[in-house]
Amino acid sequence: MNFDHIDIIQSTIDGVLFGSIYALIGLGFTLIFGAMHKLNMAYAASGIAGAYTGLMSLTILGMPVLMAFIIGPVTAGLIGLLLYFACFRFMPRGNQLAPLMASIGALFFIDELIIHETSGSPMSFPAVLPDAYFFLGEFGIRGDLLMVMGFSFILMAIVMLLLYRTKLGLGTRATSQQPVAALLCGIPTHRTNGTTFVLAGVLGGFAGCLLAASVGVLSPLLVLPLTIKGLIVTVIGGLGSIRGAIIAGFAVGAAEGVFLLVRGVNERDIYVFLLLFLFLVFRPNGLFGTTINRD
Amino acid sequence: MLSVNNLVTSYGLIKALKGVSLEAKEGAVTCILGPNGAGKTTLMFTLAGILAPDSGTVSLLEHNLTGLGAPKVLRQGLALVPENRLVFADMSVHENLLAGAFTQSRAMAAQVNDDIDKMYARFPILKARHDQPAGTLSGGEQQMLALARALMSRPSILLMDEPSVGLSPLIVDEIFAIIKQLNKDGMSILLVEQNATKALQVADYFYLLDQGKVAFSGTPDQLKNDDVIKRAYLGGG
Ligand SMILES: Nc1ncnc2c1ncn2[C@@H]1O[C@H](COP(=O)(O)OP(=O)(O)OP(=O)(O)O)[C@@H](O)[C@H]1O
Ligand SMILES: [Mg+2]
Repeated sequence: MNFDHIDIIQSTIDGVLFGSIYALIGLGFTLIFGAMHKLNMAYAASGIAGAYTGLMSLTILGMPVLMAFIIGPVTAGLIGLLLYFACFRFMPRGNQLAPLMASIGALFFIDELIIHETSGSPMSFPAVLPDAYFFLGEFGIRGDLLMVMGFSFILMAIVMLLLYRTKLGLGTRATSQQPVAALLCGIPTHRTNGTTFVLAGVLGGFAGCLLAASVGVLSPLLVLPLTIKGLIVTVIGGLGSIRGAIIAGFAVGAAEGVFLLVRGVNERDIYVFLLLFLFLVFRPNGLFGTTINRD
Repeated sequence: MLSVNNLVTSYGLIKALKGVSLEAKEGAVTCILGPNGAGKTTLMFTLAGILAPDSGTVSLLEHNLTGLGAPKVLRQGLALVPENRLVFADMSVHENLLAGAFTQSRAMAAQVNDDIDKMYARFPILKARHDQPAGTLSGGEQQMLALARALMSRPSILLMDEPSVGLSPLIVDEIFAIIKQLNKDGMSILLVEQNATKALQVADYFYLLDQGKVAFSGTPDQLKNDDVIKRAYLGGG
């Protein structure tokens, strides 16, 4: 194989742009983990499911493409709330395994539901900005991926504003750091947790739609890889670290782009998973996680 | 003002409170003494609505608080400074105080800012540290922050669970001076404390909790003259 530094930089650019989807999914995983210190394994699946409902609003109801980006996230937010009630809200407090297993169950439930409804075959998703392509010196930039990145930055900014500039955000952060003290401050912690699931769900729905728009199809085959990439991003960023999840999302995207160039599409994910093992062994708290243990 | 009637609270099969009754009078400092594991924290959490009792009642100024849940209990005017302070470590001192005012509506924003200024006046060290993450504060400073945070809800009675634990004698003196001043300013206080000598300096009435039951109750004079308590809590016979 033959490639020079230009190819590598080009692959990194593509990877970073695509990585904004991972950053969104990682951010969602992290928000939920931050709120309850539990992983919602069905999270990425809910995002893809949202994207499917968005797509169906186009194919069945004939709505304009933009509506997919409204209906998808809204549905994904509702699924997030459902998952909260089904898998987290009423689980025994000290039991870590119950919500984990329940959400793995929900992951397969959503996956099977999608396979059943679509007979397992991929559906094409309308491309947004299919012909836009820019040049930056020697490097090319796909217009749709640039849009994906722009969209992601706007969503991240909104999440940050909500978390750090509103009363809801104050309550959410307080609940995440010290749930008992939050209750003692009069914060309705069950409600703030529910809100976090909805917010994360909406992000996931956007990520699902953006993913579908940039690869041009929706398929049940996207569910598992997106779940695993989201988990990898969350771990590499440091469980619970918002900044870490965002940076790790772009970093994993970039690494994936380079692995794709160097080792091809069949081997790409092997190396991404290897990266996860390296982090788990040598830096288990990720890039920015302070500590995994908590009282 | 606060009356607790025959409260029973359990963790699974273990009964931690076995029918506790007590009274905290308006404008007074009421102190609960008791050895480790007596159920003091369980009592505080039950009063504050963190734990739900199996039976018994809690009422504050004729309002029934039993089984309301913490946020509603707080709105009724009962605030708890929890054992080990439990400050929001990654949030600034200022944000911790804002969180304490969570039950105040948006329309009260000006009043909340006023209250924060009052807290800074009462606890100058918090003003100096207002921008610092609460986790970087010393134990004594965190205790003051936890206290100020609880006061931000404008309670009519303040519960404190072992505010002096783990602090150096000098800081303990400071904390007790603050408790005394708060009470002088009209705050009713229910205080859990293992340091009986210190508690005697501020409290108007005592309860001794042992194995989930009230084993003794009385005035400071009655406490000082009780042989068993003298030996166990006041060091000497
Ligand atoms: N979460 C829990 N689960 C089970 N048992 C508990 C729990 N918390 C407390 N207990 C038990 O309930 C009893 C009372 O505990 P509690 O914490 O109320 O005592 P305490 O008087 O506050 O003690 P300390 O002085 O050490 O703070 C103890 O026997 C304790 O082991
Ligand atoms: Mg205790």
